[in-house]
Amino acid sequence: MKIIVCIKQVPATTEAKIDPVTKRIIREGTQAVLNPFDLYAIEEAVSLKEQCGGEVIALSMGPENAKKALTEALSMGADEAILLSDRAFGGSDTWATGYALARAIETIGGADLIICGRQAIDGDTAQVGPVIASKLGIMQAANVMKTVSAEGGSFTFHRMNESGFDVVRLTAPALITVLKDINVPRIPTLRNARRARAAEIKVWKPDDIGADPAMIGLAASPTRVVKTQPQTSRNTDTFRIEGEPRDAAKTLAGELLRRKLF
Amino acid sequence: MNTNHYGYHVEIIPPKQDSQKLEEDLQLFASKLTRVMGSGFTASITDNAMGLLAFQGHECIEELGIDVDPSKILIHLNTFHTKKDLDGILDSLKRLGITSILAISGDGSPRLPKLQPDDVGAVGTASVTSVELCAYVRKNYPEFTVGVAFNPYEPPEHEFEKLERKLAAGASFVITQPIIGQNDIIDRLIEKHPDLPVMIEAWMSKKLYLLSDVVGYPIPEDAEFDPLATLESLENTYPGSSFYLSLLGFKTQYETVEQMAAAKEARS
Repeated sequence: MKIIVCIKQVPATTEAKIDPVTKRIIREGTQAVLNPFDLYAIEEAVSLKEQCGGEVIALSMGPENAKKALTEALSMGADEAILLSDRAFGGSDTWATGYALARAIETIGGADLIICGRQAIDGDTAQVGPVIASKLGIMQAANVMKTVSAEGGSFTFHRMNESGFDVVRLTAPALITVLKDINVPRIPTLRNARRARAAEIKVWKPDDIGADPAMIGLAASPTRVVKTQPQTSRNTDTFRIEGEPRDAAKTLAGELLRRKLF
Repeated sequence: MNTNHYGYHVEIIPPKQDSQKLEEDLQLFASKLTRVMGSGFTASITDNAMGLLAFQGHECIEELGIDVDPSKILIHLNTFHTKKDLDGILDSLKRLGITSILAISGDGSPRLPKLQPDDVGAVGTASVTSVELCAYVRKNYPEFTVGVAFNPYEPPEHEFEKLERKLAAGASFVITQPIIGQNDIIDRLIEKHPDLPVMIEAWMSKKLYLLSDVVGYPIPEDAEFDPLATLESLENTYPGSSFYLSLLGFKTQYETVEQMAAAKEARS
C-alpha cells in the first residue's frame, strides 16, 4: 500500500507572533515544531505500512527549515520525504496549499491512502485535507478516530460525530484526517533517528509539480485575514497548601470557592 | 547493584531527541559512560529526565556498540512508556546483562505516553506510579534489582507510607532527592531501615537555585554553594551511605571527585 502523509511545521504555540500589517504569523526567528496532530497521521501511516506492507511518503510545504518536520516523520518510519519550498508558494492559504499538495501527490503518482492530521495548530482551519481530496477528486473522511480495516484497496474507519462515531467505508484512492484518539505516536528509536538525519529530503519547486503559477501563493489565495491575535497564556501561578490533610482540604475548598471555581 | 561506598553513582543524560548535533552528543555520551565505568563508578542513565524527550540509554549503548560493564550501570525507568516500549527496554537490558533499575514515576510531557494500570496488571489504582512499575518489573523480570526514589521534601508521613509500598512491591535500594546538608528525614529513613541501601543524591551544580525546580521549594539565586565541599561534608555526615552525583561537571569536577574516591578507599 502506498501512503502519503501530509504534515506541516508550525510555530510552537507559545512563541507565535503576528505581523500587524499582513496579519500573518511571523515564522522567521520563532521556534518551529511538527504540528502535533500530524504525529498521529504519521503514526497511522507507519502502522498501516507495518500491517499491510508498502511505503510511506511524507510531504510538506514550507520554508527550508520545514525539513526538520520531515526528518521527524522519517525518524518515525516514513520511507521518503518531499518538501515543496519556493518563494512562489509563500502566502498560500488553505485553498492554494491544497492545490499545491494535490499537484505534488499527482506528481508522486498518487497514493492508495493520504493521511493528514485533523488540523494545524497555527491556523486551526482543518481545511487543507478536504481541499486536497477535493482537488484530486477522491473519497475522504475527516475526523477519523479508528482504522477498522485496510485491505484490498478498501478501508473502514470510525469517523467521530457529535454523539459517537459513524462507520465509513472508502475505496482507494482516499484521504482521511485523523484525531488524537486514533493511536499513540511512537517515540523514534535512535537507529531510525540517525537514518533519518542522513536521509536526503527532496525539495520541489512549482515547476517540479507542474503547478500553475496563478494557483499558488498569496495572489492565488481567496482568503483574506481580517484580524488575528495571538492566544494569551493563562495565569499558571501555583501555591502549596501545608498542614494536616483535613485542614489543607478546607483551605483548598475555601480557595476554590473564593475564586468561583467550585 | 553496585553499593561500593568508595565509588559514586554518576548521572548521565542521553542525547535529546531534538539534538541538532546528534552524532557529537552520542560521542560525548559514550565518552562519559566509558570514563565513569573506567573510574570504577556506576553510570546512572536517565529516562527522559524532566519530561524532555531523549534517546534511551540501552539503545545508545547498543547502537554505538559501547563496551560496558553491566554491573556498573544503573538504568532509570519511568512510567511514561507504552507497554510495548517498556518490555522492549527490559528485554534489551537483559540482553546487555544490565540488572539494576531505578523505577520512578517520572516527568510527563504531551509527547510521552503513560503506562495504564492494565498494562502492568495493577488493580485498584487509576494510574501507574513507581510502586506499580516496581511490582511489574519484579514479577515479570525477577532478574532485575529495582531501586526507588525517596523525597525528603514531601510530607514525611506520606513519603514513608509510599516507601513501604515500594518496598512491598520489591524495591531493594533507595536513592534520595538531592540534599545539601544533614537532613532529619534522611536520618529517620536510615534509622528506620538500617539494612536498606540508601544512596544519597548530592547536587553538583553550582547553580543551587536550580535545585528548587527539583524539590519544589525556592532557593535564593545568590546563595553561595560549593558542591565539592558539600559532598565531602555529606560523606562525613553519612559515612555508611553511597552517593549519587547529579549534574556533575565532567570538565571541572570529575578529576576531583575521582581523587576523593581514591582518598576514601585509601583511608579505609
